[in-house]
Amino acid sequence: MNLFKIIAELEKVDPEVTDRLNSRRSALAALGDISKKITLASAPAIIGAAFNKTLAQSSGSPLNDVLNYALLLERLEAAFYTQALQATSAPALVASFTANTGLRTSIEKIRDHENAHVALLTAALGPNVAAAPSGFDFSAAFGTINNFLTTAQAFEDLGVRAYKGQAGNISRTAQVAANTSVTVTNAGQSSTVNIGGSNVLQVALQIHATEARHAAYIRYIRRQTAFGGVSQYGWITNAQSNGAPTAVYAASTTASLATDFPAESNLAQGGVADLTTGLTASPAYTAAEVSEAFDEPLDSTTVRGIAGPYIRP
Amino acid sequence: MPEASTSTTPSGLSRRTFLTHTGVAAASLLLLTACPDPETPPLTTPTISLTGGDEGVLNYLYLLERTATELYDKVLANPPADLTAAAADLGVLRDINRHNTIHRELLLLTISANGFTANSNIGGLGFDYSSFTLTTRVGVLAAAQSLADLTVAAYCGAARLLSTPVLLRLYVKMMAVKARHAAAVRDLRTPGSFAGSDVVPQSGADAGLNQVLTPAEVLAELSKYTAPIQLSVGSLPTN
Repeated sequence: MNLFKIIAELEKVDPEVTDRLNSRRSALAALGDISKKITLASAPAIIGAAFNKTLAQSSGSPLNDVLNYALLLERLEAAFYTQALQATSAPALVASFTANTGLRTSIEKIRDHENAHVALLTAALGPNVAAAPSGFDFSAAFGTINNFLTTAQAFEDLGVRAYKGQAGNISRTAQVAANTSVTVTNAGQSSTVNIGGSNVLQVALQIHATEARHAAYIRYIRRQTAFGGVSQYGWITNAQSNGAPTAVYAASTTASLATDFPAESNLAQGGVADLTTGLTASPAYTAAEVSEAFDEPLDSTTVRGIAGPYIRP
Repeated sequence: MPEASTSTTPSGLSRRTFLTHTGVAAASLLLLTACPDPETPPLTTPTISLTGGDEGVLNYLYLLERTATELYDKVLANPPADLTAAAADLGVLRDINRHNTIHRELLLLTISANGFTANSNIGGLGFDYSSFTLTTRVGVLAAAQSLADLTVAAYCGAARLLSTPVLLRLYVKMMAVKARHAAAVRDLRTPGSFAGSDVVPQSGADAGLNQVLTPAEVLAELSKYTAPIQLSVGSLPTN
């Protein structure tokens, strides 16, 4: 039995299959271990089960899978900001927001954007929309305003990486189905609009740009003494996490994907191995500057691994 | 000077037809100073037109970078006193300019590495920023914000015009940083305006989505700073 051939065949119908598996190598290693303990006759069923498990979130359409993955992250962010603004779920934060109304207004704005993204993706998926998780757990982030902002930075920077990681999986001609209506609620006012025919890649990248704006805001406000006095601007210097999980800024956890999904400290761009030496400038570009100038994509397996602890399946 | 496209030459050809026939319309830079008939308005709308395909898109991005780096270079060479006094603000603008310069230079390398031609007229293009007030902190931030928001909207609108996957990968890596820049400059100018409803609508079909501008819309805006030269989409893909 040629496992490489099986995976290659799977890749033809689902280009992300190796991304969905922990890695081709670890999948093969796992299967290799199993094969020592089972008879050859039962191998196909076990291999089939392994693939079914890793593909459990697949609807059979790569584009729907991408959109459902984006929706999961948007649901996470929407729930995060919604709960953070409610005294029942985050009393310490609500007290801080009362003392910092500018911050509260900005967090409300971000929450509204995330809710709009959830509504839009849900509408675009139509009958193919995945069920929402049973809940989320943000208790560790809601103890202090600084914990909240640190986690917000992690979610926003991670979201930016996640969208970037899927850009190549969306056809540039894909469109939202005709006559798809979405209901957006803002300041208590609901309106229903038609988004049919929208270009999916463009919409995804518009969301991506909005998330990057959120990230820059959260990062910058953390400079304030009251919010931690973190020495950072709106962009990511090297792979500095500044309190957020280091995995948010690291390379793919799948070794074979680390070239395509490198750490934020990556200096190789556009076929140039190291831009600090590959570009002429006076003074020369530093590693910090080069790393800041490019945000890196991240694969869905790594992103799901980082977001997982906050999600109740 | 706006082109009166319906005017005719003495030979009876429309101007557009005349230019097409002479091949001049296809040239990237028109600098026609002579006119065959003193009664006819001068045929002078010097224009920079983009080429087609990914070459055109990359040159479009290169133009955006030139627009920004010219502004920041000018400001940072002689920053207003009230901007110098705000050390963090100056640090933000210096970082942004270094990032944009890296993008500009990498785009030039990418254009040639892909066998494309960098439009030399874009490389030599001058910008007139006299409509901005670059002598005050607020004026500088207003100028920086207008170009930064324009750039993000341009990136949102041109991604689907790229046909090469590896170029799209590079594109989105720069795009997110552009959005970070725009948000940072906006927050310096007006705290909390990082995603104001003028660039990310709060309601309607575009709720939560960053503004999109087509290349034609972006170039019309940028042409305000390149007068008398007009920037044209030329053969740039439209979808």
